[in-house]
Amino acid sequence: MPDDVREFARQVREFLDAHATRAERAEFRWGQGEDTVAYFNADPPDVKDVKLRAAKDWQRTRYENGFGWISGPPEYGGQGLTPVHELIYHSIESEYDVPDTGTLSVIGLGMIGPTILAHGQPAIKDRYLPALYRGDIIACQLFSEPGAGSDLAGLQTRAVPDGGEWVLDGQKVWTSIARQSQIGMALCRTDVNAPKHKGITAFLVDMSAPGVDVRPLRQMTGGSDFNEVFLTGVRVPDDHRLGEVNAGWRVALTTLMNERATVGGDRGGTVAEALAPERLAALMRATGTLDDGALRRDLSVLLADLLAAGHLNRRAVRAMEAGVTPGPERSVAKLMHAQNLTRAAHFVSEVLGPRIIADTGEWGTYAWAELLLATPALRILGGTEEVMKNILAERVLKLPKEPGIDSTSPFRELPRSGKAAS
Amino acid sequence: MNEGREELDDLREAVREFLAAKSPETAVRAAMETGHDPAVWDQMARQLRLPGLALPAHYGGDGFGLTELEVVLEEMGAALLCSPFFGTVVLAAQALLAANDKAACERYLPGIAAGDTIATLAVAEGSGSWEPAGIATRAERVTGEDAGWALTGKKSFVIDGSIAGLVLVVAQAPAGPALFAVQSDAPGLRAEPMTALDPTRPLAALTFDQVPAELIGAEGEGGQLLNQVLDVACVALAAEQAGGARRCLEMSAEYARTRFQFGRAIGTFQAIKHKCADMLARVELAEAAAREAARLSDEGAAEFPVAAATAHICCSQAYMFAAAENIQVHGGIGFTWEHPAHLYFRRAKASELLLGGPAVYHERLLARLGI
Repeated sequence: MPDDVREFARQVREFLDAHATRAERAEFRWGQGEDTVAYFNADPPDVKDVKLRAAKDWQRTRYENGFGWISGPPEYGGQGLTPVHELIYHSIESEYDVPDTGTLSVIGLGMIGPTILAHGQPAIKDRYLPALYRGDIIACQLFSEPGAGSDLAGLQTRAVPDGGEWVLDGQKVWTSIARQSQIGMALCRTDVNAPKHKGITAFLVDMSAPGVDVRPLRQMTGGSDFNEVFLTGVRVPDDHRLGEVNAGWRVALTTLMNERATVGGDRGGTVAEALAPERLAALMRATGTLDDGALRRDLSVLLADLLAAGHLNRRAVRAMEAGVTPGPERSVAKLMHAQNLTRAAHFVSEVLGPRIIADTGEWGTYAWAELLLATPALRILGGTEEVMKNILAERVLKLPKEPGIDSTSPFRELPRSGKAAS
Repeated sequence: MNEGREELDDLREAVREFLAAKSPETAVRAAMETGHDPAVWDQMARQLRLPGLALPAHYGGDGFGLTELEVVLEEMGAALLCSPFFGTVVLAAQALLAANDKAACERYLPGIAAGDTIATLAVAEGSGSWEPAGIATRAERVTGEDAGWALTGKKSFVIDGSIAGLVLVVAQAPAGPALFAVQSDAPGLRAEPMTALDPTRPLAALTFDQVPAELIGAEGEGGQLLNQVLDVACVALAAEQAGGARRCLEMSAEYARTRFQFGRAIGTFQAIKHKCADMLARVELAEAAAREAARLSDEGAAEFPVAAATAHICCSQAYMFAAAENIQVHGGIGFTWEHPAHLYFRRAKASELLLGGPAVYHERLLARLGI
């Protein structure tokens, strides 16, 4: 570890010692502790509000002490250090008991902040970047649409110029944290005569502007972690445009590439804890299945993959610390994550038997239903399994693309669901 | 991913170049018929100093760790190198080190490090089990003029058992299982090659009839020793498996890019793309598991035995999966004797089962986790 990094680590510890307490990991005992295994946030709204407040406060504390945007440029409130310093900060912070800032950081700070920095106009950077990293505002991502899922570039929300402003009309869907956000990054169609990738423009939308209508979307777990966002005649000033007109696909790629770079910050949470080997063994002991040969085999298969996936992530973090930029092969970690959690949920159901189809009140049993019902999402969100595999095959293994006309024809001529080619 | 450690890349490059020249497919096929090429073994020792790479300097080695050895073994697995390297450098040398017998290490390890000694470790018997409880070969104390030990019994699945000059044997002594050294020309020892599923790694059956032997380490500590040797052997084998799996993936991707059907490269079809992506996912996972286990061993981390068992499972699965899918991507040509795909399939299956297979390695992982 170079001297400056060691000195940085010392400063991080000094800051955390002054503002937080070290996390004490209580030894696990069956029947004790929080009885929840939730992938999505299952807190009631008032608890969510309290946690959001705490997260914003903690982000402000980080910012005021120089740890809010470690790798950001000083002119916008950053410290001008490297992603390595960022990683080191988070690895040290994980030893402390601090509020989970995922609502702010995963999308806003991790993906949209860097996009504004790369493509925003100067006044916009001044206005939003310090506010984002100080925890004053939250940003969401207005990308997916009912008609543009895996094929994001097929989006149809229109943006039409009108007297120095743009008027947006359309519908976005699967928007996380839309209700908590003050700004949203929207991809819109600005030229239907160009091929689909070449007629898109990116904008920053004021989520409180007239015509922005956020409606919670209830997902199959029963909770509402996502929203539909209807945009009806929403006026956006031209200085809120990110990048050039019709160059929005490049802007979107910046956002999506930063999604890949956030892998190191994979949160632990109740799921990771519940999948620890000793926890799964305790579950089998409690249900009297620890001697079941078939279940033992399944347990080992599952644990081997979980442990190996952990090794894969650790190695990626270490590589980034050594200055190696993560490549598209990082998609493997996402595939494995979805596969492992899905398999884990079904394995645990088998261990629990009927105790997962109705709540007996017994600790550590029906709580797994929450994870079980979340697993189908894991193979879809953030890029479906199928799209991830195409990316791995084409970018890593250099297999040729499927021949198609959708990247060369004018967008308006492309067949769409409910509107087949004539 | 090399974590930015360039010296490991250099080592990998050097070994890969050497093997491309010395172990092309023609050489592998020749060795399948006639055994390994002693000239290549000699060059590996004298030019690249590979046998001594991870052996302690005071026993004539270069003192590197499992991390470096892992890189070498990945490349050997990828090239299907036919060589007594695994048996000698991994099994035999590790057994000597684990036995904690300074005199024996001084006597045997320098020869191994220099490439002068080909050695092996004989544990399994008829059932193929590596469990000490399943060992029937007896060690009896000999009194009188030739005081020492004598071994009687039969060992099977002994890697390079027909060519090893030094055979280390785990046998039942009165105080429990222990490690013994036997010279291959000792009276009463008979080696017979077994017909092997994977001809790139020859196996032999050894029959012992009152064979004079030397006790290595302490009597009764063979079980503990086997656990230690197995942990390292699991990682070493995992490295070979990861390398072999990676080569299968490369063969598939290359074929998918260049084979045309229906007027298109077959790699344009998602059915093929996703197959290759699935292989890639398993291979990346396998490599991470093998490399991380090696790193943990070098750090002396408490979690090493768990990581070793994990690597063995993940790499066994990845290799078998990749070897089978590789044939499927190739279609009919992949099923021919002339095509190398079956050689990887054979190696994959034999490696998966060499140390006991799924029936054993899953329980080994759980045992290492205390479950």
